[in-house]
Amino acid sequence: MTERQVQISLGAGAILASLFLLLWAIPQWVSSPSNVQKLILSPLFWPYALAGFTGLTGLGLLFGGLGSDDDGEPVNEPSDNPAAAWMRLAGMAAIMALTMFLMPRLGMVLTSMLVFVASAFLVRTRHPVTAVVCAVLIPLILYAFFAHVAGVAIPQGNVLRLP
Amino acid sequence: MSFVDSIAAGLSVVGNIEAFLALFVGVAIGVVGGAIPGMSATMAVALTLPFTFAMQPITGILLLLGVYKGGIFGGSIPAILIKTPGTPASSATILDGYPMAEKGEAGRALGMALWASCTADVISNLALILFAGWLASFALSFGPPEFFTLILFSLTIIAGVSGKSLLRGALSALLGLLLATIGLDLVYGTNRFTFGDPNMMGGLNFIAVLIGLFAIPEILAMVWNPTAHVGTARSLGKNWVTFADYRRSFKSIVRGSLIGVFLGSIPGIGAAPSAFLSYSEARRTSRNKENFGKGEVEGVAASEAGNNGVAGATLIPLLALGVPGDVITAIIIGAFMIHGLQPGPMMFILNVDIIYGLFIGLIVSSVFLFFIGSVAIRGFKYVADVPKRILIPGVLVLCVYGVFAVNNNIFDVGVMFVMGWVGFMMVRFQVPAAPFLIAFILGPLLEDNFRQSMLMSGSDPMILFRGPITWFFWGLTVLTVVAIVRAGVRAVRTSALAGK
Amino acid sequence: MKFRTLGAICALGLGLATTAAAEYPERPINMVIPYGAGGATDISARTIAEPLGNAVGSPLVMANVTGAGGATGSVAVQNAKADGYTMLFARVGSHSVNPAMKATLPYTLDDFRFVTVYEINPVACAVSPSSGITSMDDLIAKVAEGGVTYSSSGVGSLLHIAAVMVLSEFGVEEPLTQTTHIPQKGGGAAATAVLNGTATFLCTNSSALASFVANKQLVPLMVTTPDPVPGFDAPTAADLGKPALHQLVGWTGIAGPDDLPDDVAEKWGAWMATATADPEFLEKMTARGSVIELMDPVKANEFIEGQYNTFRKLVDDLGMRIEG
Repeated sequence: MTERQVQISLGAGAILASLFLLLWAIPQWVSSPSNVQKLILSPLFWPYALAGFTGLTGLGLLFGGLGSDDDGEPVNEPSDNPAAAWMRLAGMAAIMALTMFLMPRLGMVLTSMLVFVASAFLVRTRHPVTAVVCAVLIPLILYAFFAHVAGVAIPQGNVLRLP
Repeated sequence: MSFVDSIAAGLSVVGNIEAFLALFVGVAIGVVGGAIPGMSATMAVALTLPFTFAMQPITGILLLLGVYKGGIFGGSIPAILIKTPGTPASSATILDGYPMAEKGEAGRALGMALWASCTADVISNLALILFAGWLASFALSFGPPEFFTLILFSLTIIAGVSGKSLLRGALSALLGLLLATIGLDLVYGTNRFTFGDPNMMGGLNFIAVLIGLFAIPEILAMVWNPTAHVGTARSLGKNWVTFADYRRSFKSIVRGSLIGVFLGSIPGIGAAPSAFLSYSEARRTSRNKENFGKGEVEGVAASEAGNNGVAGATLIPLLALGVPGDVITAIIIGAFMIHGLQPGPMMFILNVDIIYGLFIGLIVSSVFLFFIGSVAIRGFKYVADVPKRILIPGVLVLCVYGVFAVNNNIFDVGVMFVMGWVGFMMVRFQVPAAPFLIAFILGPLLEDNFRQSMLMSGSDPMILFRGPITWFFWGLTVLTVVAIVRAGVRAVRTSALAGK
Repeated sequence: MKFRTLGAICALGLGLATTAAAEYPERPINMVIPYGAGGATDISARTIAEPLGNAVGSPLVMANVTGAGGATGSVAVQNAKADGYTMLFARVGSHSVNPAMKATLPYTLDDFRFVTVYEINPVACAVSPSSGITSMDDLIAKVAEGGVTYSSSGVGSLLHIAAVMVLSEFGVEEPLTQTTHIPQKGGGAAATAVLNGTATFLCTNSSALASFVANKQLVPLMVTTPDPVPGFDAPTAADLGKPALHQLVGWTGIAGPDDLPDDVAEKWGAWMATATADPEFLEKMTARGSVIELMDPVKANEFIEGQYNTFRKLVDDLGMRIEG
């Protein structure tokens, strides 16, 4: 993406977000009691104001982008292999989703061991052995610290219950 | 009682080995606690509190104050090394600290953070000792209208941290303001964007948002391009901050400390806005303006001075009025009360020995901070030498533990992940993250104080102009906005000329 | 999988432990504190933690789960497994004012089983000395003139309903329109609002006001208990002929999910009796202005129901209930 494209897509995105908020999200998800005497005190006032400003900023970005020249230079360094990069990002998203799913079941310690290994190999670490060793040790050390020094109730799983 | 008598009385209560030992241990706990993301200074203080029950009052309170001061500095260590602020107050330090670490200057950044923190600490303590009474009465003249104008002015910081496009900074800030509306409405208690989920009713956890916005995008960027860092000098080297650096940044440090003292003495603002304000002021006036955000040592100095300047000054409303300025001082007030001490004007008459004992302890704490900080930096800075593809999964796991520990809630871990993707998109679209964060902190304050003012006056907007303090901030806001607009117009003109 | 269930289950480290015939408790008990560190509930909980831990014979893990006026932490316990390993420090705000005021609350009183109420906090009303108000009569006279405001730590807090209830008991017919509520974020901010003149008065736990009163920064107008509160030179509700206000007190109790087994509840009764008898605990709590009064489960439930019904009636009469 070039500078101009970024500007235009940001502008368009902001305008869409603002319309979405104004027309659907705020009426739907912000409740206001019926006995509000003054508009200015209503719980709706601030969200509407913000949504309006978002729209204005979007317009500004859009016109700024349309008015500028395209220099043809991409803003982000190109990845050597975009398809693989997208795959890795999707992989990371899957790791995060799995983390949320597994944590209540396996407990935080086992889950973070898996997360550590998975993400270390996802970024193709050059030190696979170290990575596995760290993956076992770091969650254990953190558990010992948070549970026993800081007194935090770290979630325990149904598989393994640490002292 | 004369000043000398007061000092002597103070010495008589702190002049023992336990008091200084407690202070020393406190600073050490604070630095380590602050350096662990999610643990934060607040939690370190809360965890230390039960141990103070059995101590002499002054010893216990010095222990807590040590933890507090150490924690505020400790937060800058992970901010610089792994782009994860250890406490919210150190988020401004990331802006220049992390780029410095990327350039292989972690040692220099950490050293500057320590020097600036200690200097600001001394200034802040002096302000407390000399001006407590005066600043406290000033703080009491801050009602909702004054707060509203102060925060409105503080929002102009956004222009200073927006980078090259003000509009994108504004977009980022609006996003932060919108996310901050999630939760229960202040005045009516109704739901706003909670989607019926009780976890959303309390609003998004600030630390989860903070870590998500800064640390997780770094991990995602690594996933996107795992070899981007190969070949760049990240290792620590032998670099250390020089006296020339310190002298060059001295003005920013003093300015930051004073900003910290001012904002710290007003209850309810906290250290993070102060650090950002100090940073943006330093950037505005610095000769190296261009280098800010790319690893400028003065930026680190300004942010750290801004947040440590608050530490001593928050004790002003605490001691002089009995009013806690933030969560940490609220816990410390608890410690006073458990020992049967009642902070407030009478304490300066009834417990003058304790007050002066605290003053002496505070002065000493800056010295302790300097030594313990130096040792800690030496210990922690090897983190910069860890291979990045081992470090990154480690940071991920650390963030999961830390964010969970803040509120014992797994939901917050999810918030962190989602905010990580938001932050990553913002990086890809070159939208600066700092305005988002400032707006997220200040937005609710702005709205709440506005509505409280309207409730006070029966919706008469004239209350927002009710006295000299409000006029002062209105004037300052107008001046700043004019300056920003003029700078913007000039930038457009120069780029138009350059284009021709 | 809904986040809330997820959050609740794991936040509390519940896991399905081996529920063999082993004696309860065979592992640490998680105690959820639904308010932030340094608040009244937190200090009360952490003070009882030590004697209670000794009585239980197994460590207690204190977990602050804050947000939404105590609702976030309460929901975490509501959804937890009722095995006695996740218990809640319930407080007047989260378990009698909130249910009475908020239709939108994700839980009701029936979702919890109270094992005890152990602490009562008298409520006191105070004004700033510069206001010129020295008695409740002055305050009520001022209400008639208009422009009286009161601060609270938020909608649905004890402070909110306390001010309304006091005004209503003293004959103000429409407290919602004759006076203005200025909510603040937290109890400290509420007291500051009265100090700096943002609000005219507030009614809150006497412990939160003790230092301001001792320092003569605030003037107490009344306390709601039948007996005078040490350090507060103000008439009691009984002196003023308003016995209905005796209901208006703060309290801290311990609750579990509603299907908590009987044997667990019994054990808690015994533990609490030992813990609250601890002289050091008693001394610390009374120094903070609390009254230690141990209630068994039946009495605790009656007490809370009674307070809830009083508040609910007031809320319905005045149309204060939050529906949206």
